[in-house]
Amino acid sequence: MATNPAPKPVPQHASTAAGGLAEAHPERPSGLLRWLLTTNHKEIGTLYLIFSLTMFFIGGVFAMVVRAELFQPGLQLVQPEFFNQMTTMHGLIMVFGAVMPAFVGLANWMVPLQIGAPDMALPRLNNFSFWLLPVAFTLLLSTLLMPGGGPNFGWTFYAPLSTTYAPPSTTFFILSLHIAGISSILGAINIIATILNLRAPGMRMMDMPLFVWTWLITAFLLIAVMPVLAGVVTMMLMDINFGTSFFNAAGGGDPVLFQHLFWFFGHPEVYIMILPAFGIVSAIIPTFARKRLFGYASMVYATAAIAILSFLVWAHHMFVVGLPLVAELFFMYCTMLIAVPTGVKVFNWITTLFRGSISFEPPMLFALAFVVLFTIGGFSGLMLAIAPADFQYHDTYFVVAHFHYVLVPGAVFAIMAGVYYWLPKWTGHYPHERLAQWHFWLSVVGVNLTFFPMHFSGLAGMPRRIPDYALQFADFNLVSSLGAFLFGASQLLFVAVVVLCVRGGRQAPAQAWEHAEDLEWSVPSPAPLHTFETPPTFERPAH
Amino acid sequence: MRTLLVWLAGGLSLAGSIQVAMANGWNMPVGVTELSGNIHSLHMTIFWICVAIGVVVFGVMFYSLFRYRHAKGAKAANFHENIVVEVVWTAIPLLILIGMAVPATATLKQMYDASEADLDILVTGQQWRWRYDYLGEDVAFTSNLGTPRAQIRGEEAFGENYLLEVDEPLVVPVNRKVRFLFTSDDVIHSWWVPDLAVKQDSVPGFINENWVRIDEPGVYRGQCAELCGKDHAFMPIVVHAMEEEAFDTWLADRRAAASQEAQGIDREWAMDELMERGEQVYTAVCVSCHQEDGSGNPPAFPALAGNQALLDDRDRHIDTVVDGVSGAAMPAFRSTLNPVEIAAVITYERNAWGNDSGDSVQPSEIAERLSD
Amino acid sequence: MWEVVKSVLAAFFGVQKEQRRCEDFQHGRAAVFITVGLLMAMLLVVLVALVAVVAAR
Repeated sequence: MATNPAPKPVPQHASTAAGGLAEAHPERPSGLLRWLLTTNHKEIGTLYLIFSLTMFFIGGVFAMVVRAELFQPGLQLVQPEFFNQMTTMHGLIMVFGAVMPAFVGLANWMVPLQIGAPDMALPRLNNFSFWLLPVAFTLLLSTLLMPGGGPNFGWTFYAPLSTTYAPPSTTFFILSLHIAGISSILGAINIIATILNLRAPGMRMMDMPLFVWTWLITAFLLIAVMPVLAGVVTMMLMDINFGTSFFNAAGGGDPVLFQHLFWFFGHPEVYIMILPAFGIVSAIIPTFARKRLFGYASMVYATAAIAILSFLVWAHHMFVVGLPLVAELFFMYCTMLIAVPTGVKVFNWITTLFRGSISFEPPMLFALAFVVLFTIGGFSGLMLAIAPADFQYHDTYFVVAHFHYVLVPGAVFAIMAGVYYWLPKWTGHYPHERLAQWHFWLSVVGVNLTFFPMHFSGLAGMPRRIPDYALQFADFNLVSSLGAFLFGASQLLFVAVVVLCVRGGRQAPAQAWEHAEDLEWSVPSPAPLHTFETPPTFERPAH
Repeated sequence: MRTLLVWLAGGLSLAGSIQVAMANGWNMPVGVTELSGNIHSLHMTIFWICVAIGVVVFGVMFYSLFRYRHAKGAKAANFHENIVVEVVWTAIPLLILIGMAVPATATLKQMYDASEADLDILVTGQQWRWRYDYLGEDVAFTSNLGTPRAQIRGEEAFGENYLLEVDEPLVVPVNRKVRFLFTSDDVIHSWWVPDLAVKQDSVPGFINENWVRIDEPGVYRGQCAELCGKDHAFMPIVVHAMEEEAFDTWLADRRAAASQEAQGIDREWAMDELMERGEQVYTAVCVSCHQEDGSGNPPAFPALAGNQALLDDRDRHIDTVVDGVSGAAMPAFRSTLNPVEIAAVITYERNAWGNDSGDSVQPSEIAERLSD
Repeated sequence: MWEVVKSVLAAFFGVQKEQRRCEDFQHGRAAVFITVGLLMAMLLVVLVALVAVVAAR
């Protein structure tokens, strides 16, 4: 990994990605057209991040509706039909509209900077990939207003509930997923082309920062599985509109085929949502522990192993669907295997901390919380892997607890850590430390109050996706709902910190964090619109 | 040393409180079958393994965060690779997992062996109720949510078994191997009773198999565990496990009642009999969509009260209940309800809530209609 | 070839001496390692499947 000598003077363009005009493009459009047509990786990164934050709040509002109804037993606020739309849209928006675009935004901003490239390999494709998303999600959100309502069959949209018994808007839901899928595939192609071709001279693969590695591997996963999703939803489209029977037993098809195809996409998808998080945390912890990442090579191997194994475990989402015994055993064994490389990564982070010199700036707070809380999510995942026990966990709140732990204090905290870490580079200011600390502690309390009780309500017998529940689950749900309201409200602090930071704050130098390595810290803060127009000389540290 | 003791005390009291909590509705039940006990043991084993790993891992982590604070002037060490340590911490989890895989495999094989059962029951998931068919015994019935809608709406106080009660429970014998066959008439449902550790998806067009041998008589409650539409939360399961002799008696009585009901198809039913039976069926089966007062929830669920088009077309009313409405939410009840129930509920609908048509439908008419 | 297999196995396990890795990267060709890696991944799948078949008996 790079420990750069004093940064060479970089030809300055007097602009920042966050505002101001560039001198280097005299006819460059301004205002709305600028953002519509930009091919600059920094501006596109910003667009992705703003889009993702907006989606995060929309998906969050849906979650608040869910938790408000679940605050007490009985049906007080919404009808079950609408409740099912809220749970479905919450999942779809968070997965496809918040988490994935946030990681793409961070990749757009940071991958070229970290490898010393002037931009992504395919800048116009980059622009197109972004603008597909607002189209896709306007379409998706508009289904809520269509006759019959929006998708109401869970974010996993199993057939035949999502085909024969689905509302008329389902065809639009399918179209929106196709559009979002194309965006992901094109983005992934761009990432791979950039990383393989545009590294600074002297930067070999095993010199790349871990964030770049994890994104490289994630991009391959995306290219492998998004087409499978496209295939499944097209088969749905055919069943709904053209009289085919892919998932209809009466016509010779099989509803379980849907599940196999969906989860063959779906399981790599959840690794797509976490590998970049691993990369972010692997950058932040060494910086604030002032110590090199322990076991860089094994972190790369572990990431690759996780990616390969992720194709071999999909049916652990289907343990109760009636698989043959041999299949059940195969998937149980593979799922247990995948825990090993994941655990190894956690050990590596902790060993990086051991005998380091640790400080607790906001990015570090979120990264440390990630390590603890993601690991707890990993433990519940290990329990779920035990197939016979899964017969009692499947489709209960125990599963909801598991995936929310790995996604919220997992992926989302890592994204926020990355934002706090790189805001000085983007804006030239440090984020407001006090507010960020409040955001952190309220979020940690909120997230645990919301999701920890769900382990218990699941074990006690509460199924998923229900708007009303039996009395023995009441206390757990009360606490969860209060936690959810706290967590939701705390995210307003995050918006405040980001907005304030864009506008002003304590000035940050190029090397904003004392012990940060990697190439992005060699360019000024805020990073000029164009960086590394001449490739930097990259010197790797002595082994 | 003192810090160590403090940590130990803290850890033990945490473990202790976990134990207490787990015994009081916070944990998976041990259940009433040998398999449910095995599953509970597997669950507890993997749980404690996770706790142990967590204690070690988080222990090292929090120790490091405290001991190696920059603010206290800690100087970073310079190591970043150690082959022995890395091999050990990869090998140990691998061995632990292989160790867990062995009992897990054994339990799974047990779960999959449904051979040589004493009793076979076909469980059919429907939107939004369960149907039970005692194969070869001439006993079949549907099991609907028993909780009054008024409780759900908050107009009445919650009953003790809110959302976990039905109008007719599944009755099974203890100490006999009962095999379940699962299927569905519409979407995927899932039949789950935690105390029996039986959960299996009901897939339309396919048959899944599972089994149970219950050790203790009692009443065991569960719920549908696969999103199946608007009333997914409102189709519970109640299993009443009886001593073998009591079960045999129950089965014989139920068979007799069923055949009596079947005989009832041929005779003439009086209006008040039809209305009484019809109200029972309506409350159990129809209220979730059409409401107690027949007002429905248009346009998805039409009103029945004051529905002139329906009252003017008796044949269409019968067709709707028997064959459902294609492309809409109204299912066909021809295989869910028997001719007496169908005739009664249609009679009730045509006369309740001020409809007062004076019409009645005889079970024999429905029986003939069904044989078309 | 045996050296390649050993390195790929080490990659699967996740641990190898940095020095050995440097030598591989210096003197070996990526294509060979990737091919062997893919083949051995398929072998792993077959192996786990076999274990599952045997365990199910």
